[in-house]
Amino acid sequence: MEISELKALIVRSLDSSSDPGEASRLLEEAGVSYSFGAGFQDKVLERIASTGNAIVREMESVRNLNNIFYRIALSGVAAIVILLISIFMMQGSLSVDAFLGLGSSYDESLLYLLTGN
Amino acid sequence: MIRESYRQKSDTELVKSSLEGDKQAFSEIVKRYQGMVARTVKAMLGDSVFSEDIGQDVFIKLYYSLSGFRGEAKLSTYIQKIAVNLTLNEIKRRKRFFSTFSQKGNNEMYEFEIADHDTEEKKDARELVGKALKKLDPKFRVIVVMRMLQGYSTKETAEILDIPIGTVLSRLSRAQEQMRIILEKM
Repeated sequence: MEISELKALIVRSLDSSSDPGEASRLLEEAGVSYSFGAGFQDKVLERIASTGNAIVREMESVRNLNNIFYRIALSGVAAIVILLISIFMMQGSLSVDAFLGLGSSYDESLLYLLTGN
Repeated sequence: MIRESYRQKSDTELVKSSLEGDKQAFSEIVKRYQGMVARTVKAMLGDSVFSEDIGQDVFIKLYYSLSGFRGEAKLSTYIQKIAVNLTLNEIKRRKRFFSTFSQKGNNEMYEFEIADHDTEEKKDARELVGKALKKLDPKFRVIVVMRMLQGYSTKETAEILDIPIGTVLSRLSRAQEQMRIILEKM
């Protein structure tokens, strides 16, 4: 196809009343075609496999973090329970005073301790 | 033999198989639509290795969004939408890059790669179309590519670009005018 004919075809193809399918076919015949290089499919699948592995690795690390969090949380809960039991055994109750270690102190002795009289 | 069986499957069947983890089915989708994606990406960005990367990104994005494909539109339209969005994003990214690092500002880095096995006439035709597309504003270029190279109707173009038909028609008219001026100077 001559360049002048090609130019006319390009302009004509952009006319809203023209048949777009025919123009694209004629342009392809004239050599205006595009394609990806050889092995394009394989490259896409390779990249999907590698991104898939990255996602799996990310999910595993999140799962590991979750496991670590649960272990720390369980240890914390166990420590709190042991603390409560020991406070109950030493103070005989779980009141605020017992938590502060004041459960078995009399007011007078506390006053004595604070004032020295 | 196996390849042949995939070739005969419909898009819907291939999507279903791909979602079940069948890589061969997805490979067939890539094979079926890589030409269409190449036309959009390479005509919009130029014919370079970077365009091939964007082409790969289109199919990777498709792979991870297949579960969201409900089959209301054709698979080709769905893929074309992804290709157009990624390409326009890449043009914006390149413009930002060049406006930051280059004095020329709006240089888009549009490249041509003319295959050696093409005849002189075909090389000239590709060069002419490539140079003309490069000079068009991206919002007109995408309309021209959809119409002139992909052969989409006004309605299909509007659906892919997610804009009203009236907007497509007005942009098409302005693109035609710009293209006429560009081609006269070449």
